[in-house]
Amino acid sequence: MFTDFKSDSFMFLIVLGVIIFVCAQALFFMKKAWTRGLELGITKDKLKNAVTSSAIFSFAPAIGIAITVITLSVALGYVLPWIRLTVIGAIQYETIAAIGALEAVGMETGLSQPVTDPETFSAIAWVMTLGSILPLILIPIVLKKIQKGVSDVASKNSKWMDVMTAAAFIGLISAFIGRGLAGTGKAEEAIIGDGAGVLSLTALITSIGFMIFFTLINRRLKKNWIEALAMPLSMVLAMIFVVLINSFLPEIAAIEWRY
Amino acid sequence: MNKNYMDKVHTYGRVSCVLSLIFFLCIPLAISLHFNVWPSLSVVGKGLASLIIFFVTGIVEVVAYSPMLGAGGTYLSFVSGNIMNLKMPCAINAMENAKVKANTEEGEVITTIAIAASTITTTIIIAVFVLIFALNPKFSEVMSSDTFAPAFQQVTYTIFGSLAATYFVKHWKISIFPIIAVTILLLFVDPGIGVLIPIGVIFSMVGAHIMFKLKKV
Repeated sequence: MFTDFKSDSFMFLIVLGVIIFVCAQALFFMKKAWTRGLELGITKDKLKNAVTSSAIFSFAPAIGIAITVITLSVALGYVLPWIRLTVIGAIQYETIAAIGALEAVGMETGLSQPVTDPETFSAIAWVMTLGSILPLILIPIVLKKIQKGVSDVASKNSKWMDVMTAAAFIGLISAFIGRGLAGTGKAEEAIIGDGAGVLSLTALITSIGFMIFFTLINRRLKKNWIEALAMPLSMVLAMIFVVLINSFLPEIAAIEWRY
Repeated sequence: MNKNYMDKVHTYGRVSCVLSLIFFLCIPLAISLHFNVWPSLSVVGKGLASLIIFFVTGIVEVVAYSPMLGAGGTYLSFVSGNIMNLKMPCAINAMENAKVKANTEEGEVITTIAIAASTITTTIIIAVFVLIFALNPKFSEVMSSDTFAPAFQQVTYTIFGSLAATYFVKHWKISIFPIIAVTILLLFVDPGIGVLIPIGVIFSMVGAHIMFKLKKV
């Protein structure tokens, strides 16, 4: 497996460099924010809570991302998808980007056949990298201006800004809720659960239900750990429900009204 | 907000973005050098042309997400990726737990810490699981089997379902319109989540603005 040129020791050296780079950058920003947080009077408990709840929260989605690496590994080996999904990449885009890159180099078989030619592999690496770096060019140029504009508006009309910020979050959440209710899947690929149906609705309803349940419990017990774990627990329990329905009621689980 | 701190965040962020850019470009360069193969410009150009939608969504994402992620959170998120399915909900959840608002310095601090913690955790978990999958193909088969794969396929809905429970209950008046509008739109056309998010945000902000003007919120 590791004798394949796509997953040789050199490729592993690159991914090791990526991991060190990304973690060092995150630690640097975290340290600066932590120090500033203490200066602002935010308690250590609140800061610790932000770290632990975010770390626990990220667990299940991270496994989902690792599974996407496996999906892409047939064609591209383990390392390139691993790098792509550790930096810049997004689970929603990366498969499409890989297929686009494979087709561009003349591999119409998509992700089902391994890339055997180093030149093709190198072309794919270039396409996938160049195709995703635009935000890294834009952000250093425009971010300060965007933040200044937002900050100016916030200082002039803070109530309106609060409503607009909440509305922006709600708009984002609505897009995903809407997809769970009425999003279309890929009929030609016949993947169970990619269109709105019983599974997406189960995931939505059970996660909402568990989250409300934990919120109510926390209102009564007022424990920091419940607050920190409420969301990751709701997610995992909802996923267990999806597995149960899919295992015990497969005919019902396969129902999709938008495919 | 403290200008001194924010100015420093932007300076660090800009330097880290440029470093990241150079580092990421070195990856395909290193692959080409290592294998001594140089793909033709026409092949790379053709590939990039097929990814044109990513350039458009890249611009939209920077404008749409950065006010919600904060400065430090934006610099970190756009380097480590998986923004809308992981970093953004993580930041929203952390702000809710810490009871701080976006676009305040407290919000800036909490989102930066949350996104940094999420980035480190995600990077380590991906590394551990990819190695387990690679060394033990049977485990990989189980995780991507018909039994478990649907659960991971629905993970995004479990994230946003949980978030909706806290956010919609708190702001139900401005939540009804965007959900209905997005769902109705999806009945006619599904533009993909990358396009749907800015549409949802616009629907939501327009609806909230009207309600604010009518003094309903």
